[in-house]
Amino acid sequence: MSVPAPGAMRLHLKKFRKYVAPALVATLLLWGASTVCRVDLGALLAGMPRGVALFGHMLPPRWEDFPALAGPALETVQIASVGTVLGAVLALLIALAAAGNLSPHRAVRELARGALTAERALPDLIIILFFVAIVGLGAFPGVMALAVCSVGMLGKLFADAFEEVDPKPLEAMAAVGATRAQIIRYAVLPQVFPSLIANTLYRFDVNIRMSIFLGVVGAGGIGFNLVMSMRLLRYQEAFAAILVILVLVVMCEQLSDALRRRVLGQEVLR
Amino acid sequence: MLTVKGLAKRLPDGKPLLRDISFQVEKGEFVAVFGESGVGKTVLLRCVNGLTAPDSGEVVINGDGGPQRVNGKTGKELRRLRRRIGMIFQGANLVKRLSVLENVMTGRLGWINPSRSLLYGFTDQEAERALEALEKVGVKHLAFRRAETLSGGEMQRVAIARALLQEPYLLLADEPVASLDPKNASAVLDCLKPLTAQMAIIGVFHHLDIVRKYCTRAIGIRDGVVAYDGKPDVPRDVLNAVYGSEPRAWPVAAGQ
Amino acid sequence: MNGTISLGTGRRKAEQRHRRYYERYLWTGGLLVFLFGWNAAELGLSARLFIEGLPHFLALVAEMFPPNWQVLTGGRVWWGILETLSMAFMGTFLGAAVSFVLGILAAGNAAPSRAVREAVRTLMAAERAVPTLVIILLLVVVVGLGPFAGMLAIAIGSVGMLGKLFAEAIENADPKPLESLESAGATGMQVIRYGVLPQVMPSFIANTLYRFDINLRAALFLGVVGGGGVGFDLHMAMSLFRYADALAITAVVLVMILLAEKLSDYLRRKIIGQEVLQ
Repeated sequence: MSVPAPGAMRLHLKKFRKYVAPALVATLLLWGASTVCRVDLGALLAGMPRGVALFGHMLPPRWEDFPALAGPALETVQIASVGTVLGAVLALLIALAAAGNLSPHRAVRELARGALTAERALPDLIIILFFVAIVGLGAFPGVMALAVCSVGMLGKLFADAFEEVDPKPLEAMAAVGATRAQIIRYAVLPQVFPSLIANTLYRFDVNIRMSIFLGVVGAGGIGFNLVMSMRLLRYQEAFAAILVILVLVVMCEQLSDALRRRVLGQEVLR
Repeated sequence: MLTVKGLAKRLPDGKPLLRDISFQVEKGEFVAVFGESGVGKTVLLRCVNGLTAPDSGEVVINGDGGPQRVNGKTGKELRRLRRRIGMIFQGANLVKRLSVLENVMTGRLGWINPSRSLLYGFTDQEAERALEALEKVGVKHLAFRRAETLSGGEMQRVAIARALLQEPYLLLADEPVASLDPKNASAVLDCLKPLTAQMAIIGVFHHLDIVRKYCTRAIGIRDGVVAYDGKPDVPRDVLNAVYGSEPRAWPVAAGQ
Repeated sequence: MNGTISLGTGRRKAEQRHRRYYERYLWTGGLLVFLFGWNAAELGLSARLFIEGLPHFLALVAEMFPPNWQVLTGGRVWWGILETLSMAFMGTFLGAAVSFVLGILAAGNAAPSRAVREAVRTLMAAERAVPTLVIILLLVVVVGLGPFAGMLAIAIGSVGMLGKLFAEAIENADPKPLESLESAGATGMQVIRYGVLPQVMPSFIANTLYRFDINLRAALFLGVVGGGGVGFDLHMAMSLFRYADALAITAVVLVMILLAEKLSDYLRRKIIGQEVLQ
C-alpha cells in the first residue's frame, strides 16, 4: 500500500496523453477555427426573425411559375444523365487499362491508375470552372464537367471490380481461341455487369446534386433559376424552384434506387 | 494428330518440373495421363494448347492445316490452333452469370467474326448447334438456366458441350471428374467416351478403375519423364514405380 | 425417347426463346442509345462543339502557364485557405455533435420512444434530400455572406448522413453486453454510455473524418455562392480571366486537399487500428 504512487503517476500521465492532451489540442483548434469563421451567435439570433420573415415572404410559392420551371428541371436531369453516361463509358475504357488482369501492359496500367487517382484528387469545382471557362455558358460545359468528375471514382470502382473477377472462365475462353476483346465481352463483362450498373446509378445520384449547382456558375439547369430568384429577392419564385428541386432530387433517387434494386435483386434471387 | 517431343518446363523457382516428355497420340485414342500430384500433368496439358509456354521441346499438332508447332506461336496463329483443341477444366470454368446456352456458344468464339461476336452476339444457327451439343451430353433441358444454378456434374457436361462446338480434333481434359461423385463421374465419362470416333482425348485421371474402363492407353509421369506408356491395365509394379512405394494418390488401386 | 416430332418442336421452342432473349437485350440497348442521343441532342451537344472547343482548351492551358505565384504573396489566398479549412472543420464538428444526439434518438434500440425515433428519422431523411445549394442560399439571407454561413451550411448538410450512419451503427451493436448491464441495474443512459458507445465510437469517428474529406470539397463550392473561403478567390480568378492566378490557387488548393486527406486517413487508421489491437 505504500508503493503504488509511481504506478498511479504513470496512470495519470497516460490518461493525460490519451485524453487531456487531445482535448486541449481540439479546443485550441475549435477556438481558432471559430474565430476564422467569425462565429457569431448574436448574428445568428438576430438573423432568426429574418429567417422567419423569409419563410413568410416565400409563401405561397408562385404556382404559375411551375410550367416555366419544367424546362430547366428537365435540362438538369438531362445534364446529369448524359454526363453520367459519358463519364461511365470513359471510366469503363480507362478501367480496362487500369485493371491488373486485363491491362495490356504494366506501364499502361500504372498510367491509367495514376490518371484516375489524379482526377479524384482534383476538386470538382476546379473542373467545372475550367470547362465553363473553355466552352462558355450553357449545358455543354456542364455535361463535360460532370463526365470528367465522374471518371475518377467510377474508373477506380470499375477497375477494382474487374480485378475481382473469377479468372477461371477467362482462361477457358483463351483456350477456346477467343481474342482479348471477346474474352472481355463474354467472360468479364457478364461477371461485373451488376456492379457496373449499381455504381453508375449511385454516381447519377451524386451528379443530380452537382448539376443543380452547375446553374450557379452558368452551366444550365434549374440551379440558375433558383440563384437568380434569390438574388433578385423574388422569394416566392425561389420557393417554387426549391420545391421543384426537392421533387426532382427525391424522384431521381427513388428511380435509381428502384433500378439498382432490380439489377442487384436479380442477382440475389437467381 | 499430336506429337510431343522432348518437352521441358521449369517451375518459376528454377526447379525442373518436366524434363523430357515425348509421346504421340492418334485419332480414336483415349489417353490417360497419371502420376503423383505436383508431377506436372496439368502443365503438360497446358503446354499442348499453349496456355503455358514450354522451356524447350516441341508440340506439333497435325490437324486441318498440316503439321503445325504450337509452342512459339502467339496471337492470331495461336488462336487459330486453339480453336480446334478443346479443353475441359476440373471446375468446368463456366461463366456463372451467363445462361448455359450462351456458355456453350462461346465455344464458337474462335471461329466467328470477332466484330460480329462483340456487337451482336450469336446467331440462331449457332444456338441450334449449341442445343444439339447439349442434347448429346444429355442436359438440353438446362439450356436457359443460369450456369451458376447447375450442379458440378451438370456444369462439367456443359463444358463438354462447349468444347464440342469447337469441332475439336483433340480434347484435353484436366481432371474432369476429380470433384464429382462416382455417379456423376461416370455420366461425364460416358459422354466423353463416344467422342473418340472423331477426335483424340487426353485426360488426367486419378482412379485406376476409370482408366481401365474408359481409356485405351495410359501414360505415367515420374521425375519429369514418361515412366510408362502402354495399356490402360497398368501393372502393379509400374504403379508402385510411378507413385513411389506409397501409392497415396491411387486410392482405388489399393482396394483391388 | 419421346419421338422425333416432340423433340423437334422442343428445339424450335428453345430457338424462339433464344431469339427472344437476344431481342430483349437489343431493344433495351437500342432504347438506351436512343434516349442518350435524344437527350444529348436536346442539350445541343455535338461532336462539332467538341472539336471547336479543343483550340479553346489548348489556348486556355497555354494562358495558365506559367502560374502566377505572385498572387500568393498578398496573404489573401492564404486567408481564404484558412477560412475554407475552418469552415470544413467547424462545420464537421458541429454537424457531428448534432448527429451524435440525433443518431441516438433515431436508433431503434436506444430511442426513448417510437414517436421520437420516427420523427428524427424523417427529419434526417428530409435533410438528406435538400441540396446544399438550397441550404446555403437560405442561410446567406439569415446570417449574411461569409464563412459563418458556409460553416452552418456544412454543419446542417452533414447531419443527415452522419446521423443515419450513427443510428445504423447503434442498431447493429452487439446486444449482449447491453443486457448484462441492464441486469446489473444500469439506467438507460448508463447502458448507452457504457454498453453502446464503446462499441460504436470508432465507426462514428471514422465516418466523421470521412465526412470531413467531403466537406472540405463542399467548402470550395460554398465560396462561389457567398460562403467565403478560397473557392471564392478561385471563382473570381476564373471569371476575371486571370487564368495564371487560377492555376497558382489551384495548386495550393490541391496541396491543401491532399494534406487534409492524408491527415484524416492517418487519424482514421490510428483510431480504428487502436481498436483492432485492444
